[in-house]
Amino acid sequence: MAQPTVLVVDDSPTVRKIVQMTLQREHIRVITASDGLSALTSVADEMPAVILLDIQLPRMDGYHICQIIRKNLQFRQIPIIMLSGKDGLFDKMRGRLAGSTEYLTKPFDSVELVQTVKKYLANWQERVPPHQEGMRRLRYRG
Amino acid sequence: MEQQDRIMDGDLQTLGLQSILKMLALTGKTGKLFVSSGPETLSVSLRKGQIVGLHEEGVPQPDLLDMLCLVNKLDPPRAQTVRELAQGNMYMALAMLVERGWMSAAEMQRRLEFAVTQSLSHALRWVNGRFAFHRQLVSLESRMQPLDVDSVLLEALRQADEWEGIIAEGITYLQRTTVARWQPEVRKDVRSLGLGQEAIEVLCLSNGELPLQAVALVLMMPEARVAHTIAHLLRLKLIEVVDTALETELRQDLSDILIKCQHMLAQQRQSLNPEQHLLSLIGILAKCINSLLTHHGHYARSLRGRGQLLHVEIVRYLERRFAQDLQTLARQQYPILETTTFVKGYLDCDDILTLNKVVKGEQLEEFYWEAVQGLAAFLRMVFSTLLSDEVGNSHTGRQLSVTWKVFLSEIDHEVQQYQVYRAHRNTQMARGRDSLQSSPLSFVQNWNTVPDENGDDNRSPETRRRSI
Repeated sequence: MAQPTVLVVDDSPTVRKIVQMTLQREHIRVITASDGLSALTSVADEMPAVILLDIQLPRMDGYHICQIIRKNLQFRQIPIIMLSGKDGLFDKMRGRLAGSTEYLTKPFDSVELVQTVKKYLANWQERVPPHQEGMRRLRYRG
Repeated sequence: MEQQDRIMDGDLQTLGLQSILKMLALTGKTGKLFVSSGPETLSVSLRKGQIVGLHEEGVPQPDLLDMLCLVNKLDPPRAQTVRELAQGNMYMALAMLVERGWMSAAEMQRRLEFAVTQSLSHALRWVNGRFAFHRQLVSLESRMQPLDVDSVLLEALRQADEWEGIIAEGITYLQRTTVARWQPEVRKDVRSLGLGQEAIEVLCLSNGELPLQAVALVLMMPEARVAHTIAHLLRLKLIEVVDTALETELRQDLSDILIKCQHMLAQQRQSLNPEQHLLSLIGILAKCINSLLTHHGHYARSLRGRGQLLHVEIVRYLERRFAQDLQTLARQQYPILETTTFVKGYLDCDDILTLNKVVKGEQLEEFYWEAVQGLAAFLRMVFSTLLSDEVGNSHTGRQLSVTWKVFLSEIDHEVQQYQVYRAHRNTQMARGRDSLQSSPLSFVQNWNTVPDENGDDNRSPETRRRSI
């Protein structure tokens, strides 16, 4: 079984770097994207186990990306954790409506982040369809 | 695991690991022997009485691929390829290295045999614990040649004796999980230190990340000998033992500070005019400096291990450490910093933040601009002093330093944004056209909106609709 990958989508390089550093210490593979388009490309290429998605992004906001992922049959199972500076009920509801699994309010602390990600990685192996796993391995070999 | 497969179990105090292994070897058993003590578990795979695999659980296992990269025996991209496929299985990783011609089969065998011996040597010293032998098919998980139990045991016992010797010498503070790192003040070329080859190799791998066990594994040097070398290097004050729990806490605290500061920085991007932008930046820089000072008050090297300290002592330490740097900056480059003072271990910037009560207009903006530059310079000083003091020249130090630089680049971006505006304004003034004042709308757009290359709106249609 392949190592689970977490995709971090945030326009701030500081947030990307800190999340990457924090999760890598927990032996979690991390890939990053700074905008919506590269995020969707990474989702298609890497099939991440969990997506950490900022709401305010250049070109396409987090809600929109979340909706696109949820509409895709292949990727709709991926847990999406929204990262937002807004902790209002309206924003949380909006995140839920867009299809997010969980909502983390910025500034989050690293312990909370690790716990949340691990919660969704726990059943990751059950979520990966076997044929995708095979494809993944083939891609690596190639 | 099926209950009926378990054909033997018991207490290590009744039957030692050495006797169990000998017995299984003599009877030519095939199956898995599980030995556990505290949180650690060792599973030894046997086929016809010979060792064909060994796994340790309960303690973090070193990444052999990373370590081979550190000693220049493997390229990082190759290591990454193998890591993806091996999924942390050392046996599989080594087999893949051999398969791809990146390691010889003989070296793989030597390394596997060494790893098995090290683990057994460690387990042989367990006094309390339990064992169980399960008769089951053992999967062919590696290309390791089966190992003879007697010869492995002989070497493992010899190494266990070496450990006992080290403890007898009074070196009780080193364990296989001990992590060492270079002392921050050591900057010399290692060749000039008059050390032997082994000591140099151990010194080079003391990067604050690798535990003693990992250093032994990569150098294929018995753990006891590595411990001995580390003790020697500690006596020479070339390295120090890392308190890993403290360092984890420290790293988390610094990460949280950075996340909070970045969040504040992102929030202030909504500032409507340059004056407000500069004022927000001053507030953020001051908060960032003060968070770092509070952090350093908890984790400074010279304050560690002294129990609960009085706040006055911490304040005195912080002022002694940073006040002079601040004064120098104020004297030589940014006179506005003379208005800041250290109060109870914090940098008090109230005089700058309330400057609007004293001056107005362009002069106020000039003062704010100088304050931003001065505080940014002081922030850099505080962080580099703090990092070198707290984590020194280590892997963690380098990681935090990289993250910090990324954050500073975000601050620089904000500063540059103002510089661009300033240059634009000066050009306009030079042309005799005061378009900024005559058209506040265009000014706000130039100031606050940073369009992307395509000029696209960065919001989804839904957000745009809601905004409308």
